[in-house]
Amino acid sequence: MRESSAELRIEEKLMSAARIVGMLFFLLTAGCVWMERKSPQTGAPEGKAVAVEPSTTRPADQSVPKTDLPDAKIPAKVPASPVPAEQTRKKESAAPSTGKPGAPPLDLTTLETRLKETKAIGVFTKITLKNQVDDLLDQFRAYYQGRSKISLAELRQSYDMLLLKLLSLLQDGDPSLARMVVASREAIWGILADPAKFATL
Amino acid sequence: MNKRVQVWTLIVAMTVFFTGPSQAAEDVSLLKDMTSVIALLGLPCGQVVSVKRLGDNDHIASCQDGNRYRVYLNPEGRVVAQKQ
Repeated sequence: MRESSAELRIEEKLMSAARIVGMLFFLLTAGCVWMERKSPQTGAPEGKAVAVEPSTTRPADQSVPKTDLPDAKIPAKVPASPVPAEQTRKKESAAPSTGKPGAPPLDLTTLETRLKETKAIGVFTKITLKNQVDDLLDQFRAYYQGRSKISLAELRQSYDMLLLKLLSLLQDGDPSLARMVVASREAIWGILADPAKFATL
Repeated sequence: MNKRVQVWTLIVAMTVFFTGPSQAAEDVSLLKDMTSVIALLGLPCGQVVSVKRLGDNDHIASCQDGNRYRVYLNPEGRVVAQKQ
């Protein structure tokens, strides 16, 4: 009688131990699955993003005098770029990674918002990208004010390079935004290359 | 007594399993962030293999190729990577 009750107690203990082991195994598996889902994204804590990204350049952009634009030079240079740009655009849209047709083009403000919100890029990377976008805008401003010797073709090169960097960062973590950037490429260039539109930025 | 031990075991195990992966994920994302920043700035690095935090927005990143950079946000709001 005593033996059987002792056996029952041991059995109970074994069962509870087995339950705990099972629970731990489940938690371990769940943890691993969560890590796999998390790993493709380079998302940094969102609180930090809000704290470190105070943009002070936008008001400065708006305060640029709109009357300083040299009208004579620009229209002659602008038509030179659309044909090769169109070809590169076609090539990219044919690539499998950016396949979905009909992604709506973005304006600069929407693009800025989407880039701020995406978790595919870390906080420091976002700030670095923003710095480089600001630098490019400064170059455009200097060009339109006649303060720079840089040509529109060179500005186009810088623009393409920056967009490629952006796409390489987005294509794995946020492919839908990458597609939108590709779709908006010419629309954004259209704004940058037009002094009247650029002045409204 | 036995029940209490079991409960505490479970609590400790859950804490370890839930906090461990989140810390690791944060570290991985910081390594990727630093790698992207250094690449964007056009500096040689390959991949960042470890990051030491010096302060808010101030890190020392050690690269695969042996380079080390102090990556920080300067007062003008620019991210700077300074070779160490």
